[in-house]
Amino acid sequence: MAVAIRLQGATKIYQRAGESLRVLDELDLTMEAGTFYALMGPSGSGKTTLLNLVGGLDHADAGHVWIGDDDLTGLDGNALAQWRAENVGFVFQGFNLLPVLTARENVELPLLLTPLSRRQRREQAERVLQLVGLGDRMDHKPRELSGGQEQRVAIARAIATDPQMLLADEPTGDLDRTTANQVLELLQRLNRELGKTILMVTHDPEAAGYADQVIHLDKGKLGRIDDNRAKAGKER
Amino acid sequence: MPWHLLWRNVLGHPLRSLLTIGSVAVAVFLICVLHAVTSGLTRTLSAAASNRLLVQSAVSLFVDLPMSYQQKIAAVPGIAAICKWQWFGGRYEQDKGGFFAQFGVDADTFGPSYPEMTVTSGSYADFARERTGCIVGNDLAQKYGWQVGQTVPIGGTIFQRTDGRPWEFTIRGIYDSNSPAFDEQSLFFHYDYLRESVEQGGAVGPEGVGLYMLRVADGADPLAVQQAVDAMFENGPQRVQTTTEAEFNRQFISMLGDVPALLQMVGSAVLFAIFFAVLNTMIMAGRERTRDLGVLKALGFRDAVAMQLLVGEAVLVCGLGAVLGLGLGLLVEAPFAAITASFLPGFGFETNTLLLGGAIALGVGLASGLVPGLRAKRLTTVAALREVA
Repeated sequence: MAVAIRLQGATKIYQRAGESLRVLDELDLTMEAGTFYALMGPSGSGKTTLLNLVGGLDHADAGHVWIGDDDLTGLDGNALAQWRAENVGFVFQGFNLLPVLTARENVELPLLLTPLSRRQRREQAERVLQLVGLGDRMDHKPRELSGGQEQRVAIARAIATDPQMLLADEPTGDLDRTTANQVLELLQRLNRELGKTILMVTHDPEAAGYADQVIHLDKGKLGRIDDNRAKAGKER
Repeated sequence: MPWHLLWRNVLGHPLRSLLTIGSVAVAVFLICVLHAVTSGLTRTLSAAASNRLLVQSAVSLFVDLPMSYQQKIAAVPGIAAICKWQWFGGRYEQDKGGFFAQFGVDADTFGPSYPEMTVTSGSYADFARERTGCIVGNDLAQKYGWQVGQTVPIGGTIFQRTDGRPWEFTIRGIYDSNSPAFDEQSLFFHYDYLRESVEQGGAVGPEGVGLYMLRVADGADPLAVQQAVDAMFENGPQRVQTTTEAEFNRQFISMLGDVPALLQMVGSAVLFAIFFAVLNTMIMAGRERTRDLGVLKALGFRDAVAMQLLVGEAVLVCGLGAVLGLGLGLLVEAPFAAITASFLPGFGFETNTLLLGGAIALGVGLASGLVPGLRAKRLTTVAALREVA
């Protein structure tokens, strides 16, 4: 299978109160395209930092980050912005929808960076909202939606431009169990049916159970990798 | 660029936006009114006739000149006509709270010396013939609904009748003016009527003349006339000061202080106040939108878009305020001009006043949006998303 993400000696150091904090420490990691990964580890282990590097939101202080054939290490701010618009969708813990826009308008936002016409943008937004089961909530503003619905709008926004990779940072952290499971099932469906590569940060072992592989980080270094598919195969 | 976000963000906080737009509107309105007043003063001064000089006491405008000066001054070469101007200071009996100027003049030289004045109803000749006749400005006549032939009772304050009754002037003409330097809010009557009443014991009041207006003959040098008149009374009995009409108007206005400088100071204070008010609003808006801006950056919008959104919002708010303020200004222009016509006949909103209002609003919008805008531009996506996490 093709390689979607490759980190080579990726290092990130934060300066806090005059001290250097090595959040990622020469991390080497390869992830396959079309696979659903969960990223676990204790607080401060570098999960979100890794997600930020992979998503082109931040630069590594040393080492390299390849996404497909693109080396993100040398890209400047504007180039990274363009790369993000074309290649990656984000799902955040707090949903992060713009409160002044409707569900449809929120989903249309990333499409403004594409050459699509106004009508095409609208149709695409409606299509993905139908896909996540919110066809009847398109004109609602975020405050008029439940937490689960908000997160589904956020997922629709993340896939609106049809990126190959979805990055989710604790996407079920603010949701109750039932709603969380619905959102996880949706992510799983996007992975299995549309072939999206998904990297999801989570503290929740049950959420991690939806992933194909679970990567454990500890103090900025790679721990073990659990293969849920293999486990499922053995259990069968 | 998600331009629709500008509107949505403005509409997202309707009360705050409304208050800010209202503040900008009031500030733009005030600044434009102040500018119109300053421009009006300038227009009034520049519209003054160059062939008219005014002679007043060198001591003060409030000290009368001897009547005997008229004949001496008239003999100065280069003077085509001389006319007395006497401030009457009376109160209209039907509107004692109202105010308009009344002057005693020499009817035979007054009319010919002010060609910008045209009697449009009645006739100047009728006024000149009738001892108790008067002419009034069109605005004044309209204000009180006066007609030609009507008698106007004016109670004397400086000149009081001994029988305790008001003075009565019969309107023989209503005049229009085509110059901002000559208002349509005054009443002119015969100086001789006033003087004879005092001399015959029918009235009491100061002797003398407030001002002499000199009309310089065609081809004569006003400066030479000015110097000759001043020199004539250099050694008394009372020294005089001769000035051009424009200079006289300027001095009259400056009795209130340096009005243009004062207005500019007030205008600047208003400008700074509104700048800080809008800046405060935009900084608050910028901080509230940190998360939204972080999301936009994560989606792939460039850093500059974050700045453009905040600057655009500030410009939009200030632009709406400017439209409202200028609209209000245009709405009150006519009534305000009517109120100020007697002392500021040149008042009015010119194109440059409207442009100034628009430019100030645009400048305040740009400057107040730039501060949070630059912060938003510099803020990294991770920091913006983390700030609210």
